[in-house]
Amino acid sequence: MKRFFLLLLLGCSAAFPLFFQDYWLYVAIIALYYAILSSSWAMLAGQVGIISFAHAAFAAVGAYTSALLSIKLGWPVALGIPAGAFMAALFGLGIGALTLRMRGPYLALTTLAFSEIFRIFLTAEYELTRGSYGLQVPLVWEGNKIISYYLGLSLLVLTLLSLSLLLKTRLGLFLLAMREDEDGAASRGVNTVRYRLYAFIVTSAFAGLAGGFYAHVVGLVSPRMTMISEMGLILAMSVFGGLETLIGAALGAIILQFLTEYLRDFEQWRLAIFGGLVLFTLRFTPEGILPRSYELVHQMLERVARK
Amino acid sequence: MLFISQLSNALVIGTLYALMALGLSIIFGVLKLVNFAHGESLMVGGYIYYFLATSFLVKLWHLPLSLILILTLPLVYLFGILIERVFLSPAYRKQTARYEEYVILVTFTLAIFLQNLALPVFGPYNRQAPAILKGRIKIGDLIIAGDRLSAAVIALVVILLLLFFLYRTYPGKALRAVAQNATAAAIVGISVERMRRMAFGIGMSLAGIAGALLGPIFLVNPTMGIPFAVKAFVIVVLGGMGSVKGTIIGAYVLAIVESFGSILLPDPSRALAYKDAYGLLILVIILLFRPQGLFGEKERRA
Repeated sequence: MKRFFLLLLLGCSAAFPLFFQDYWLYVAIIALYYAILSSSWAMLAGQVGIISFAHAAFAAVGAYTSALLSIKLGWPVALGIPAGAFMAALFGLGIGALTLRMRGPYLALTTLAFSEIFRIFLTAEYELTRGSYGLQVPLVWEGNKIISYYLGLSLLVLTLLSLSLLLKTRLGLFLLAMREDEDGAASRGVNTVRYRLYAFIVTSAFAGLAGGFYAHVVGLVSPRMTMISEMGLILAMSVFGGLETLIGAALGAIILQFLTEYLRDFEQWRLAIFGGLVLFTLRFTPEGILPRSYELVHQMLERVARK
Repeated sequence: MLFISQLSNALVIGTLYALMALGLSIIFGVLKLVNFAHGESLMVGGYIYYFLATSFLVKLWHLPLSLILILTLPLVYLFGILIERVFLSPAYRKQTARYEEYVILVTFTLAIFLQNLALPVFGPYNRQAPAILKGRIKIGDLIIAGDRLSAAVIALVVILLLLFFLYRTYPGKALRAVAQNATAAAIVGISVERMRRMAFGIGMSLAGIAGALLGPIFLVNPTMGIPFAVKAFVIVVLGGMGSVKGTIIGAYVLAIVESFGSILLPDPSRALAYKDAYGLLILVIILLFRPQGLFGEKERRA
């Protein structure tokens, strides 16, 4: 059932450009960017239990790295995007090493601080980043939307596959044990700080990957990428789709992004609506609206089948 | 002269920072959570004061603005209690699994929600609330803007009242008892849940009154709380989470570093841009070398 569902989903998304062009394809490309971000963020928050508010900032690290490499040094996109992911992983290593020793809200606070410092830096260093105007970035394949779409889709599949494979390894097992009972895991010899750091670095790298992709399909990177409301959007998408499933979070991102386009007329109410939705979800169905509705539909189907 | 005026400015701003950060610190001490919606309670306080102070009732009856300011306090308190009741206490009572992550997510989302609700409702423009004292005031050679001086004096009075409440009255002592050890406090008959609710209300209303005082100096807009909230986080980490003394000292340290830091950088436009980054740099340094803060207690592990 689940495998069938996944194949259907993959088939639908592979066939999407056959039916939709230009505008909706562009919407889908942006949705893919958010899907990579929110599935990797959900892995961090839901599976590891680390709430990081720097995920959008890491995406900006990846975006600016790739953008600057292609503008100043003429690097091709195929090298720039991985370089952006690597840079984001380095930042993740630094911040993680600083804060993962401590428990509680320290990581949330430090990542929020980092994200603000980075935004101030991007805005202030005008010579390098052109400040709040942002950088013009060369596009992937001269801006061919179909190629951009398939690039994004393959990056999303890569993200989902590698993160879920990672959860099946020993590291994933340790992470699960730590999430359930940290002291217990530590007493059995799991080096909790080290494995949390690994998870943080990996998810930060995927955020950087998403950022690099974004830079080369949109063609403009600006400090707006690191705004707190961007982080709120990623959080909303992940919580809506369910923090405990990677695919759920990715689907949540895609649904909310398309919803945003339908709600164009209510543009300024968008984040208020999403925020309210998340508050409702957290309060009443903390496992996420998508998993909950999937469960309900499943139960209903079973009841029908039994009759 | 530059030195004196920078110092007096730092003291004024520091007092307002202290007011704001004390609220965050009390919430952390009693509820053991970082309130990411703290800046939004400042924004709510700012708007409440603005709308009350510019309403026709004030003009009609010639109400003094200080009365409006006092009225802001219970209104934000009610707002805080409402939030605690709806979002925090059910999770606490049910012993929700992973309570710590839940409260970070809830308060952060609340911040985003309130900001983006205020945006279409109140509009994105800046509004200037009327100040209690207008014009400039001369003390010897020193010239201070009246709105800043009055804000600092009122903030100082509120802080002193808060300290009196915390250290000399029964509910204040009960609050501190819960902060130190909730189980022991429950054993001697203190209602932990009631104290948690009260602490959240007080914390929010301290930020609210700070917002009402800052409204005339800076401007009232939907995102006015963000920079101040970030500063309050820095101060609380600097002083040690939950430490009252540390928080007050931390607030003045941050204000002094900010006002003198901007003189140190040679390029003035860049110095201004980085003014908000100094505090964040302090945060990172403290976390590196003294994670428990200047006056905090070391975390004990199970």
